[in-house]
Amino acid sequence: MDTKVKGCKELLNEVIDKDLCTLCGACTGGCPYLVPYKGKIVLLDNCTLSEGQCYKYCPRTYTDMDAISQQVFGVPYSEDELGTTKEVLIARSTDAQIKEKAQYGGTVTTLLSLALAEGLIDNAILTRTSEDKTPIAFLAQSAEEVLQGAGSNYMACPILETYNHFLKDSNHSLGIVAMPCQALALTKMKKEPPENRISINNVKLVIGLFCTWALSPDGFYQFLRENLDLPRVTKFDIPPPPANRFDAYTPSGKISFPLEQIRKFTIPTCAYCLDMTSEFADISVGSVEGIEGWNTVIIRTDVGAKLMEMAKAKGKLETDKLPPQNLAHLKEAALLKKKRALKEIIKRSGDKKNLLYVGLSPALADKLLA
Amino acid sequence: MATIDIDAPGTSQLFIGNEAIARGALEAGIGFAASYPGTPSSEIMGSLAPIAKKMGIYAEWSINEKVAMEAAAGASFAGIRALASMKQNGVNVVSDFLANLVIAGIGKGGLVLISCDDPSAISSSNEQDTRPIAKWLDIPLVEPGTFQEAKDMTKWLFDLAEKTGTLCMLRSVTRIAHARGNVKLGELPKKEQKAYFDQIHDLRNVMPTTFMPVPSALRHAFLHLKLDKAQEKFESSPFNYYVGPDKADLLIITCGSCWLYSQDAVKALKLEDKVGILKLGTLWPLPEKFVEKHLNKSRKILFVEEIDPFLERSVMEMVANLPADSPRPTFYGKRSKHINAYGELNPDLVIKAIASITSITYQPRDVEYGKKAEEFSKSSVPERSMTFCAGCPHRATFWAIKNALKLDGRDGIVTGDIGCYSLALGPAGFFQVRTMHCMGAGAGIANGLGKLGQFGFNQPVLAVCGDSTFFHATIPALINGIYNQSNFILVILDNNATAMTGFQPHPGTGMTAMGEPTKVVSMEALCRSLGARVEICDPFDLESTTATLLEMMAEGGGAKVAIMRRECELVRGKKEKPPYKVHVDPDKCIGEACGCDRLCTRVFLCPGLVWDKKVGKSKIDEVICTGCGVCTDICPQGAIIKEAA
Repeated sequence: MDTKVKGCKELLNEVIDKDLCTLCGACTGGCPYLVPYKGKIVLLDNCTLSEGQCYKYCPRTYTDMDAISQQVFGVPYSEDELGTTKEVLIARSTDAQIKEKAQYGGTVTTLLSLALAEGLIDNAILTRTSEDKTPIAFLAQSAEEVLQGAGSNYMACPILETYNHFLKDSNHSLGIVAMPCQALALTKMKKEPPENRISINNVKLVIGLFCTWALSPDGFYQFLRENLDLPRVTKFDIPPPPANRFDAYTPSGKISFPLEQIRKFTIPTCAYCLDMTSEFADISVGSVEGIEGWNTVIIRTDVGAKLMEMAKAKGKLETDKLPPQNLAHLKEAALLKKKRALKEIIKRSGDKKNLLYVGLSPALADKLLA
Repeated sequence: MATIDIDAPGTSQLFIGNEAIARGALEAGIGFAASYPGTPSSEIMGSLAPIAKKMGIYAEWSINEKVAMEAAAGASFAGIRALASMKQNGVNVVSDFLANLVIAGIGKGGLVLISCDDPSAISSSNEQDTRPIAKWLDIPLVEPGTFQEAKDMTKWLFDLAEKTGTLCMLRSVTRIAHARGNVKLGELPKKEQKAYFDQIHDLRNVMPTTFMPVPSALRHAFLHLKLDKAQEKFESSPFNYYVGPDKADLLIITCGSCWLYSQDAVKALKLEDKVGILKLGTLWPLPEKFVEKHLNKSRKILFVEEIDPFLERSVMEMVANLPADSPRPTFYGKRSKHINAYGELNPDLVIKAIASITSITYQPRDVEYGKKAEEFSKSSVPERSMTFCAGCPHRATFWAIKNALKLDGRDGIVTGDIGCYSLALGPAGFFQVRTMHCMGAGAGIANGLGKLGQFGFNQPVLAVCGDSTFFHATIPALINGIYNQSNFILVILDNNATAMTGFQPHPGTGMTAMGEPTKVVSMEALCRSLGARVEICDPFDLESTTATLLEMMAEGGGAKVAIMRRECELVRGKKEKPPYKVHVDPDKCIGEACGCDRLCTRVFLCPGLVWDKKVGKSKIDEVICTGCGVCTDICPQGAIIKEAA
């Protein structure tokens, strides 16, 4: 395992060109050289630095899991399948407008709107589906703008570029809706704060999304274009198991594709990802198997707990307990992802001791591999 | 700048060679001059055009050299003395017409071609000697060795052209064309000229019969008779002479600027009484009797000429035909490797050749002194690489091209052409241009690349050309691309001037060589009429230019056109004040740190931006910055700030 920080050429050689890039955007936006374009990170010019922040914060370069966990949670990396948690529950928005647009329970939209309204943050970085149905990162400053980001299209979007675009003297307070890889990159930044861009302390809230894998904004988008009249699509959905399909909603009805057909557009790096529940977020949100219209919510930090409390107190969210069998299912799925990823990683490195980017304690690694 | 129309016969004027040639044409009473700009020939038309109206002559910048020569031939057919001037590449462009013109013959008005060669290719895409073209096409050829001769030969050549009925050519080189010397003036003719194409009598050369066309082979035979006549005149020409002892250790045969280098070399070696110089002004057909008369001056003959062994071979051919018992001298020159067959010559190189042949050692100065002088001169010359001017639209265009090609990710290729933008072969244009040949070749090559899809070729192809180059030679290639549906984008860098050669007007500028307003030929209307998709970009808008190029590349399909429209900064700057005042905020500039790594002064490389090593920040060189403001859009930290000036 190479733990050294290197430059952009190595990032290209070791991550981007090796199909390990998650398109999180952490390496882009902070310098003029690396830019995301159509599902790819492109190096526009030669940068001469032997150590770069691009390499340093990449969620696929070496990450000391205990160290970053210590940074956000004050404890080493948890052995729990769901990472460090304070509480796991289910929630849904009380706002009819949000519920209508939301993928499941509208919890993310509601929490972000609240954070903006209460002044916890003044800008939210999230993804929306653009006119042509490509994912696009954007900044929301109000509840109305946040609502534009409701719903998912399952394609990776380098939203951390938007964080990196904030200049170093900026005093905005930010909330970020992050995929697990993006939450990981942000945590690496919290551990060793970046230079020459907005302070990482200005990121006041990270809402993580559950993720099993993301689809390529290049290949999958081509597939969608070829198979759908995209401008007419109003919503995409991958219903919780056992549905096993991808749905596109149009005014004239739902068009479904078997999940197998679209799985080939998964970004290759997702196979090496251990994190299903955005373990490094303040609060993580996903669907709930069998309970339609609700979200599973994992509260992880004080920031997350406080926001959740506020949402409940102000009647923005209604909550309930996550049924034990659902929790068991969730843990099982999360553990399965970790085990599968580690197997893939070892297959790639060819060495049980070499877990590529994953800096796990040997004990935990052994436990997961058992 | 000298005025070439000064009416003061017998006085001396300081002229550059090109002005002397133009003056010679005036003294010859030309009525018509046409040219296409090209270094080192441009000042011939450059000095004729402004005074043309006053002198009652017609002068034009033609769209290319072929049309210039053809137009001049038209004037000759109607009895007007006409001149066409161009650089060496232009003669290649005209060569097809020339090959036919010499067979047909000229009209009643003398017709002269001026070819300015550029040894060492200081301002050219290639190094080429046009003297062999004259020999190849049977054109009487002269070459001036002094500024006075540049004028006198030009004037005399019109007489020769009329007397022989064939096109005559004067070859000049950079050091004659651009150097300055005294020229004693002659009379300017006062008579009015009348043009009339007498279709029976004036065509005696074109078709030497009023009854029926003459077969080409027969006319070729007539051409040889014309050459014999020219050769006869050359035998007694005052432009050929010998300087030196009756019996010499070494005889130099030379022409053109090498005549000056040869004199300097002999003088420096103090060999005036041992080395003779045979200076030839009329080069082809070779005045054989004259040369033969001087051959026995020495047993050793050195040819001093630039680029090709033209005199060397001509004299060898001649000697080979002399009677068997004639003296056989030893020849030195390019064949013996005493003189380079490439690059400019200078007195030092000639000295080296003479010293080597005569086995003398020559040390011009103390070696240490030479080293010191070199070091000193280096220390006082600022380090500069070839680059685009500050504020040049091309830099912005190539920035957008570079980024678009990188983002597209298919390893796209840029084929280049002739103009300032040829610099994009190097760092100025971020090494984007991959090919550079003759004018129009960029689009031509793109035609081929763009048809390779069936062989798995998927690289986008961009052909760049300037606005003047577009009119000169690119249009046929574009039409071919549209007709044959070749997949490339013609990127026209329209800076509204023939910038590299000195801002000469062209059909897109709405101005003629003589300063008259004229119709503007719209390149977008022309391209659209051909059926091409045309997009017009402002290269200073880097983001939208990049996006347009990306979208056009992604679209694929047949040939299309992207016009990058921004006036040459050197033209704009003469008319207007800078649009912005630009400065660097040192608090925001992060210099070499991660997040920039000196993008502006390491990659973008506008000379208006300088790297202050001491403080580790970039700053604006206010003397050089033209306030275009483009760098504010590339700075990742927003540290370069522009304010409306």
